[in-house]
Amino acid sequence: MLVLSRQLDQTIMIGDDVELTVVDIRGDKVRIGIKAPPHVAVHRKEVYDAIRNENREAAGFRGELPGARPSGRPSGPTPPVTPLGKGRPARRPPEGDRGLRDTA
Amino acid sequence: MIVQTTRFATLEIDDARILEFPNGLLGFSSYRRFALLQPDDQSVFFWLQSLEAPDLAFVVTDPGLWVPDYAAQIRPEQSADLGLADPSDAQVLVIVNRRDEVLTANLQGPLLVNVRTCRGLQIVMAERRWNVRHELMKVGAAAPRLRATA
Repeated sequence: MLVLSRQLDQTIMIGDDVELTVVDIRGDKVRIGIKAPPHVAVHRKEVYDAIRNENREAAGFRGELPGARPSGRPSGPTPPVTPLGKGRPARRPPEGDRGLRDTA
Repeated sequence: MIVQTTRFATLEIDDARILEFPNGLLGFSSYRRFALLQPDDQSVFFWLQSLEAPDLAFVVTDPGLWVPDYAAQIRPEQSADLGLADPSDAQVLVIVNRRDEVLTANLQGPLLVNVRTCRGLQIVMAERRWNVRHELMKVGAAAPRLRATA
């Protein structure tokens, strides 16, 4: 691993278009500003790792699944993407909010 | 296409219903093509079966059925990746895991599928509000029923 010393407000360039700037230092906490083009995904590593580990565990799913809608749950929309079987049309999602919003 | 699977023996899947995850899933970047299998019309759980690895299948569900205020945030470049012209063309799914007798869902790394193009993407949610092990329910008894061509 390359290790560089930086002071407050100093920057590290990675490639031509990624910049890491030390914006604040307080005790054992360092705040880093990141400038990167949109196609570069930037995440806290522990979040990324947690999702990856959860994927790996879930890939080993064993045992039975409740087959039907669980009792006591409100009946929500049936998920629209249902590619099982021949000749069944892919259903369009129901109208309205599907839990997605743009962060732009 | 005919797909060999470990859990469901041999399945016949309409080519038009295959989901493509160009980047794979986190930790599984080399597996890109999946079929979404619905155990039955009433099931809220689905299997996301790899078409490339017979033994790789994830249980997924629609988070909106469990967490009404759940919202996946998509960045503009991710929309572009998916070819999403309209956010309402995206179906959100979350991966389900089982710990002992409890089913949990990964709300921090949801899957977004463009229902028009069948392209999908797993995203990382920065919001700390959602976690990777959101409890859904205790496990009941009934097994999934899959229509398989054995």
